Amino acid sequence: MSVTAAQLPDLENGPTDEELVASTVGGNLASYDELIRRFQSRLYGVIYHLTSNHEDTNDMLMEVFDKAYRSLPTFRGQSSFYTWIYRIAINRTFNFLEKRKRRQGAMSLNEIDEDGLPKFDMPDPVARNNPVKSSMLNELQNKLNESMLGLSKEHRTVVTLYDIQGLAHAEIGKIMGTTEGTVRSRLHYAHKQLQKSLGIYLRR
Amino acid sequence: MKQNDDFTQLQKLLQLKRHETPGQEYFSRFVDAFHQYQRREILREEPWYSKMVEVLFEPWLAGIPRLATVGASAALLVAGIAFFLGPVGPNSSQLADGKVAHERGIMVASNQSDDSAQIQPELIETAAGGEGTQLCPLYVNGHGAVAYDSRLAF
Repeated sequence: MSVTAAQLPDLENGPTDEELVASTVGGNLASYDELIRRFQSRLYGVIYHLTSNHEDTNDMLMEVFDKAYRSLPTFRGQSSFYTWIYRIAINRTFNFLEKRKRRQGAMSLNEIDEDGLPKFDMPDPVARNNPVKSSMLNELQNKLNESMLGLSKEHRTVVTLYDIQGLAHAEIGKIMGTTEGTVRSRLHYAHKQLQKSLGIYLRR
Repeated sequence: MKQNDDFTQLQKLLQLKRHETPGQEYFSRFVDAFHQYQRREILREEPWYSKMVEVLFEPWLAGIPRLATVGASAALLVAGIAFFLGPVGPNSSQLADGKVAHERGIMVASNQSDDSAQIQPELIETAAGGEGTQLCPLYVNGHGAVAYDSRLAF
């Protein structure tokens, strides 16, 4: 189920990320727009699964792309652009979570996104038209979010990158600046924790 | 084996979270929204310390090698320790019997003759400029001196 950056579908055609970076640094702003289109959805996912709030995610995503744009001249290509921008997103989100924790203490389930943006973009038309199934899915979503928020931010990140986004262990290690072994051990611990809190749903 | 099976179930459950997206409409408008955000950001002045914070916490983003940041942080730490543990500087004035008033409002009651570095309330009261004044202790240094912040006096 894991994929590497090179295998991701929208990287297969057209200029490479690095070519777009060079073009942006050279003054072609449309190239940066293209980079945004390539990464907006995946970075949105990472930030959202760490914050559990769409509004915060929107603000953070803007900040991340802005920061990356301003820092492009210092991007030396030692890692891929993909790894680099993911690191910016995760570091910035970690800082944001620390600030949020100091400001309001640990986040409660009631503070999880209630801003009216769609929650599950329900893939199943039956669920969309079935209030009982829809309600069960919402309950499940709340429980999932609650369990995710119960993990430390490092554990939540590996779960997000591996289980939700489907990245490989090695890729996650590069993004988080740690070893593959650490990623595996964090993942194992996180799975055990989640299994404990979501046990009732797993047995259904 | 059972545990592996359970993880598989868990992973299936977690994959449901892939559907928690704001929808395609949001993403198709995002680039335009980002341009507006950038225009606003250009007009907003960054606080003076933001570059320093970035260099300290995200040196790779500022184009600074990690080793240079570690070295600079170590030097800053040593300088900080030297400042707090070092002798009282010329910006302080001696009051009496080892009591010192620092120009930034920090009162130091030196107690070098006494190994125990005990706080002497009467010494503090005098140094603070009046009886009944209580001060909050800040630290005890390696020479048996106790520092109080007179701004915290009540």
